[in-house]
Amino acid sequence: MPPQTLRVIYSAFRMAMLHWMADPQWVIPNVIAPFVFTFVALTLFKEASGPFGLYAVLGGGMMGMWGNTLYASGFAIDFEKWQGTLEEVVAAPSNLLHVVAGRSVSNALFGLTNMAAILLIAALVFRVPLGVANPILFTLSIVLTLLSVSALGLIFASAFVLSRYAQVFTNGLEFPIYVISGSMFPIALLPLWVHPAAYILGPTWGIEAIRTAAGQTEVSLNLWQYMGVTDVFLTFWLNIGVMLLITLAYVAIAAFLFKKVETKSRRDGTLVQA
Amino acid sequence: MNLLNPLKIFVSSALFSFRAQFGWLYPPMWFTMKFVMSLSQMAFFVFVGQFLLLNNPATRPDIVAYIAIGNAIQMLSWNTVFSVINITSHDKWDGTLPLLLATPAHRLPLFVGRAMMHVFDGILSVAISFVFAVFLFGVNFGNTDLLALLIVVFLTAFTMSGFGLLIGGLSFHFRNPLVFANIFTFILLIFCGVNFPVEALPQPLQAVSHIFPLTYGVDAGRKAIAGATLTDIAPLLGQMLLVGFISIMLGYIFFRSFENMARKTGQIEAV
Repeated sequence: MPPQTLRVIYSAFRMAMLHWMADPQWVIPNVIAPFVFTFVALTLFKEASGPFGLYAVLGGGMMGMWGNTLYASGFAIDFEKWQGTLEEVVAAPSNLLHVVAGRSVSNALFGLTNMAAILLIAALVFRVPLGVANPILFTLSIVLTLLSVSALGLIFASAFVLSRYAQVFTNGLEFPIYVISGSMFPIALLPLWVHPAAYILGPTWGIEAIRTAAGQTEVSLNLWQYMGVTDVFLTFWLNIGVMLLITLAYVAIAAFLFKKVETKSRRDGTLVQA
Repeated sequence: MNLLNPLKIFVSSALFSFRAQFGWLYPPMWFTMKFVMSLSQMAFFVFVGQFLLLNNPATRPDIVAYIAIGNAIQMLSWNTVFSVINITSHDKWDGTLPLLLATPAHRLPLFVGRAMMHVFDGILSVAISFVFAVFLFGVNFGNTDLLALLIVVFLTAFTMSGFGLLIGGLSFHFRNPLVFANIFTFILLIFCGVNFPVEALPQPLQAVSHIFPLTYGVDAGRKAIAGATLTDIAPLLGQMLLVGFISIMLGYIFFRSFENMARKTGQIEAV
């Protein structure tokens, strides 16, 4: 990646950080749902033995990343419209995709604050054991999932440039992804017809990898079971591999869509009216 | 004094506040979102319950119905709490707040009227959610006392709009009411016995549950679906109405105190 691209991504990342620090209360709408959902799950699971605590805590962290990224994607464009800066951002020679990518990563990172709060409550209130089997693989899987979630956010952001209803989409897309990605339960519980939708989501594979690195001792994703893969360590790398492929596909799709959307809004002159 | 005036103010406040949301929300999308939100929230918690049921023999066998009914009734909070608090947000963002404070209209019907269409919108959300509960998650409504359930849903929506007005009134004093809308809609999932009994909460938190009308509404709704009559659940409904009435009055006091402060200091949106 050329240094100027990295500079644009970093600048957008830094600007999003500064916006957040200027008005930190805005993180609340972004992470309140994952926090509450995890609290509810931990309360439901508190009398049960087994891997429930792990599912709740790690799922809550992943949901926090997703919630924040989705809000960042939807709200970033609306925010620019309200501030009257969208024209300048689009007119600047920097690629809009890179600008949104920097913001998307920074907001997924903020989502991790939700994971920290959940870990704290899980440990102090619910006494969930929080030992991580393999800290290096655990960190790696979280970082790669964060990037995958950010890349998925880019695809949505491209559509949000064209729509006046980005915030509505944002609200509507938050919960379905929590369900379909099996963030807090095995996707085997979902109806079979939903499984293809789960498999094309990077977070589905990411949360599996995170759980394995944290200490899940059995292969739970249906696809690997069907293929006869029984080694947990192998499924970790398979999950990471599939997630990386999906993430690259997301980036390619987002780049294509951003180009199309930008060209269309420049040609039609509908950027801020949309 | 013409008695029809407060009624006209009440009705026009109800209609305009509801219609105003379509300034930023495309009506077909509003309708679609009712289905998406109802289904996805309910499905999330039902699958969590099923996961528990399959792997933990001590789990209550009716957990799916318990969760599905709780979430179906809680869905009215998106309309009666989130949307009602959001009226305050839009008053601030859309520049209508100074006009609202300048009008000579009587404040009580103006303030309470704002939430009223959202009561019916909330009832529609519950009806959609009940359909999902029956056809997707197999909840049995065979023993339901229909009259009791209808009254429970209506009174829960009405009293929860009172709670929305309370937080909406309070949030006049703050810059970003949307933050309050998010917090106070979601914490209902923790405090109101939606997914687990209130008794499962730590002792100090259980007392908090009683300030939310939804706690009584969810309990009464489950009982009506199990066959309890209106007489059986009357004490719960009475408590809910009392809490709802206090909420409306407190919300009105917050609104009037904000108005007085705004007139004295000249600060309106820029609180």
